[in-house]
Amino acid sequence: MEPKIHFDRSWQESFLKRIAEDGPWAKPELFTLAWQAEKERLVPSFHGLIAPDRLPQLSLHPHQIETARTVIEDMHGKAILADEVGLGKTIEAGLIMKEYMIRGLAQKILILVPASLILQWVAELNAKFSIPAVPQRKSYVWDQCDIVVSSIDTAKREPHASLILKQSYDLVIIDEAHKLKNHKTKNYQFVRQLKKKFCLLLTATPIQNRLSEIFYLVSLLKPGYLGDADSFARLYKSGKTAVRNEKKLKTLVNQVMVRNRREDTGLRWPKRIIQSFEIPFSEEEFAFYRSLSDLRTAGVIQGFSLLTLQREACSSREAAFLTLNKMYRTLAQPQSEMLWQSIFNKLNAIRQNAKAEKTLELIRKINDKVIVFTEYRATQVYLQWFLKQHGIISVPYSGGFRRGKKDWMRTLFQNRAQVLIATEAGGEGINLQFASHLINYDLPWNPMRIEQRIGRIHRLGQESDVHIYNLATRGTVESHILNLLYNKIHLFEQVIGELDDILARIDLRDIDKQVEQIFEESDSEGELQIKLDNLSSVIRSEMDPAGEELHHAAGGDT
Amino acid sequence: MQQAAIHDFLVKYFKASGCRIFSEAHKDLLKVKLTKEMDKRLMNRPFYWHYIEKTGGIPETATLVFRTSPDLEEGEFVHFGSPRLHQILDSTKDLAPFIRLYQNLPSDSSPALEPWLGINYKISYQCDLKKDRICSVGLQLINGTLIDGFQEILQTLALTPKMPDYCYTLRPLVKTASGIGRIERFIESALKEEKTDWAQLAEKRWTRDRELLNAFYEQQNPKPESYFQECEALKEQYEPRILVQYINAGLFYLQSSSFLPGFPSKAR
Repeated sequence: MEPKIHFDRSWQESFLKRIAEDGPWAKPELFTLAWQAEKERLVPSFHGLIAPDRLPQLSLHPHQIETARTVIEDMHGKAILADEVGLGKTIEAGLIMKEYMIRGLAQKILILVPASLILQWVAELNAKFSIPAVPQRKSYVWDQCDIVVSSIDTAKREPHASLILKQSYDLVIIDEAHKLKNHKTKNYQFVRQLKKKFCLLLTATPIQNRLSEIFYLVSLLKPGYLGDADSFARLYKSGKTAVRNEKKLKTLVNQVMVRNRREDTGLRWPKRIIQSFEIPFSEEEFAFYRSLSDLRTAGVIQGFSLLTLQREACSSREAAFLTLNKMYRTLAQPQSEMLWQSIFNKLNAIRQNAKAEKTLELIRKINDKVIVFTEYRATQVYLQWFLKQHGIISVPYSGGFRRGKKDWMRTLFQNRAQVLIATEAGGEGINLQFASHLINYDLPWNPMRIEQRIGRIHRLGQESDVHIYNLATRGTVESHILNLLYNKIHLFEQVIGELDDILARIDLRDIDKQVEQIFEESDSEGELQIKLDNLSSVIRSEMDPAGEELHHAAGGDT
Repeated sequence: MQQAAIHDFLVKYFKASGCRIFSEAHKDLLKVKLTKEMDKRLMNRPFYWHYIEKTGGIPETATLVFRTSPDLEEGEFVHFGSPRLHQILDSTKDLAPFIRLYQNLPSDSSPALEPWLGINYKISYQCDLKKDRICSVGLQLINGTLIDGFQEILQTLALTPKMPDYCYTLRPLVKTASGIGRIERFIESALKEEKTDWAQLAEKRWTRDRELLNAFYEQQNPKPESYFQECEALKEQYEPRILVQYINAGLFYLQSSSFLPGFPSKAR
């Protein structure tokens, strides 16, 4: 095929006019500089990457550069980026985007990400790649700005949707693309309709386990690549979930998907050093904790409420007080007045917080930046006050903060304060790899949350080993969680992303609900133990099946 | 572009555009006071200029400090890839689109100068991949001589915007507009001589993806809108094309012997 030749002739008329009017003419030096400016920026080869050399302040890892090259040269700009968590998918996407921009192959770019990550994407593209991306704020950005970051929920709604569908995008990037696995959803249909030349789908969740998901994801990228829905089912499906011709499917999928695994990258990952402490309550604290059960015995509250109170009591009396007071106001009856009073008296009798003391001791010993995670706002405030009493400066961090405040707190922590006290919602979307010590002041019941907490510091860019300290109060619900569940599934030692895989495989995403239920429904300590044991063995059995196979194979030889 | 070359480029650029350059202690540092025109071009503050011009205020143009070494504390770090440098590189095209120059010869040489049309192009080969080359062609407007690599030769000659006193120019026989046409045809025929393996490969990829697409929509007749849209997207992605983009152009009055081999081109 003969390539079409297109001449730019837009300048000719003004040139002839200049000649007719005898000027004005350019300065000779500038005329030469214009020639030089173009010459310096030529891209002399179809192959290789230009972008890394133009980003001298960005340190890229070999797997990121190789991924960008593969996507551009072998996958022709349509790919699923499925690296394990923490390997820098955003960086890879940014690098690909930059390369296309430098080569003049992409100008109009749409980036669809979860709403909570919009500003982070914008900031990273601008700061790390000098890519002038803007967050979507008004509906006119679709026409006027070349590179827009938006949430898919905004984009698919009017008046935006019809404006977006009018645009012709050179590149569309979709973060958290696994949310598009259902082809019947509006989100899927919307993405389907976008006019796009190149397309990147980013996801960390391996998708091989659900066959139709991979089919629909790939069809978004390259319709027909895996056949149509019928032929796909005929060729690869056997029964409800099992796969046929798995090898063939894998080969096909690998030609449109890059999945770097931590172990393959050759990067030195910092170790996780875990220490768990069971801290005895002070006498007063324990008395208060135990008295909470009386409320249930007296029939004032249900099991679930008791559980909430107990967990709060493990955190701080401040946290428990808020809930307790609320309950008292709505539930108190004259006949239970005595009971309530005795509980409040016990609460008032508490003079110290055993876990806070331990936290203080740890912080002093660490003598470095420390992140403290708690589940409760009241505990957060209390801890900040408590540390202040002992001359330690800390900053709070909550998911509810505006982006500006979050950034400010992060900066304060980096430059001024020794301690950052974060509540649960603060766990997502903030990178704190300049710190390497993390205290789990109380333990959430969803192990994924622990993963997210640890993921804040155990990520690319972390140069020291990561120290994790878990605090649980002895003889309470918390110590059960720690001993019967988390320690048994080796939660803290795991590699980031692994647990996500496991929970997805056994369909146990709402594990916290399961745990709650177990606590609620168990009448005795023994029953509780058995049930938690079952749960942990289910999770354990799913861990590292590859390793197990290997083990069996090796065993078979003898 | 090496850091030293960037520094050199910036010095030339600001000098040529009439900005004031402060002498600096460090070789990697450059401090410039912009002219009004350059402030408007580089600083992106239309409201300020609108205000100054409406109120008749005295404008204070910006002073920029650049450093080409990452180790210095002061100034904006410019490197190949920094947005500021690219803004400056881009601006050169707007600042110098057209030119007219005369060869400055020793007074004892022949006073007749021949007219030349010179055009600088960037040629891009594009499919889902892309590469470029630069191309400069000169056309003698009397006898139709064509020269590839014209700009490189120009850079070895002494040129001046004003016709030297003792010189005169010969009248062109070829009109500028048709000269442009000749240069285009010259480039086009050169491009057609080139290997097209890259285009063949791109077409293969295109065909393969189109076949997949056709298979995907095989059962659907008539084809839905999305089918045609996908077809169009594949065309955008893969269709091999060569774009000849204009950089700048000019009229040059030169002595004919300048292009003879062995001519001492640095004669001034």
